[in-house]
Amino acid sequence: MDDFEKYIKENKHQFDEYKGDKAKLWQYIDSELQTDEVRPRKPKTIRLWRSPLLKIAASIVIIIGIFSSAGLFLTSEIGINPSNDIVNQELKDIDNYYKGLVSFQVQLVKNNTKLLPEDKEEFLSFIDELDEEYLLLKEEMGTNLNNEYILEAIVNNYKKRIELIENLLEQINDSKKSEDNEGYIL
Amino acid sequence: METNILHTHKDLVEKSKSGDRNSQYQLYELYVDAMYNVSMRMIGIKEDAEDIIQDSFVEAFRNLKSFRYESTFGSWLKRIVINKSINHLKLKKIPITPLDNHEYHISEEKISEPVKKINIDKIKKGIAQLPDGYRQIINLYLIEGYDHIEISEILKISVSTSKSQYHRAKKKLIQTINTL
Repeated sequence: MDDFEKYIKENKHQFDEYKGDKAKLWQYIDSELQTDEVRPRKPKTIRLWRSPLLKIAASIVIIIGIFSSAGLFLTSEIGINPSNDIVNQELKDIDNYYKGLVSFQVQLVKNNTKLLPEDKEEFLSFIDELDEEYLLLKEEMGTNLNNEYILEAIVNNYKKRIELIENLLEQINDSKKSEDNEGYIL
Repeated sequence: METNILHTHKDLVEKSKSGDRNSQYQLYELYVDAMYNVSMRMIGIKEDAEDIIQDSFVEAFRNLKSFRYESTFGSWLKRIVINKSINHLKLKKIPITPLDNHEYHISEEKISEPVKKINIDKIKKGIAQLPDGYRQIINLYLIEGYDHIEISEILKISVSTSKSQYHRAKKKLIQTINTL
């Protein structure tokens, strides 16, 4: 540090040459700080979800929202909404496919001559039972299409029928084979 | 003596923290002149400096809880005033450092020209005549007493830039004073 710097540093108080209007400045500071006390400076964040009353109100709004949107969805199911038409069409296609498959196999069983009438009867009664269940499910679906469980139940219903038929056909084939085998033994 | 001063201030600061307006006024009384001069030297315009002082004290009292005696209250407050003044200059697009960059003049240049006759009034005049950027760094280093590390933080420049700018500014100041 040279003499010049030293001189300035030693005499720096002499650079305090300005005088401000203390009272005027304080007036502003005081009023600013006073407004802080009256109204907190930072805007208070009101956390709406903290209030139990508003919680209930919000829940009600949400529930109403769910019901009204569900209602909209269901009414549009009756055939207003084009996007639902596609879904409907797809469901119909699946339904038709299974229906065709089942009726074809039922026909096979009916036409089968190698089955005993009692067996046929038993089998057909099973099928009828499942048919009834299917009709019930379909009815249910009409009022509550969005329910996955019902759709699943319908598919399971079809599967069961097909399984039944397949089992029966397998039995027929088995008996055929055993007869054939007997033939060979003989 | 120094610790004694710190202690009395601590009492005032603590009371001010809890919002005691009387203590706040006493602190204000103690520091307003010094702070007003700091701001005047930086900005040079009475009205602007007054605004800076008002805002600085309001901010200081509002944020007093964050003051943890890591420095004296005075230097804490002064830093608020300096920062506000610098921001004010930036807003007014007044250069806070000289535009020409002398990053490579890191070595301490010897001031070839000696000061003919040192006189505070001449120095004041000389500082007043300096370009804005030079005046800031002379003020910060010689009068406000900040070191180059602190100046680099205040002006957001590198330490070496602060050093080189200061030496250029000092050279210019001595030249100016010698012509007076």
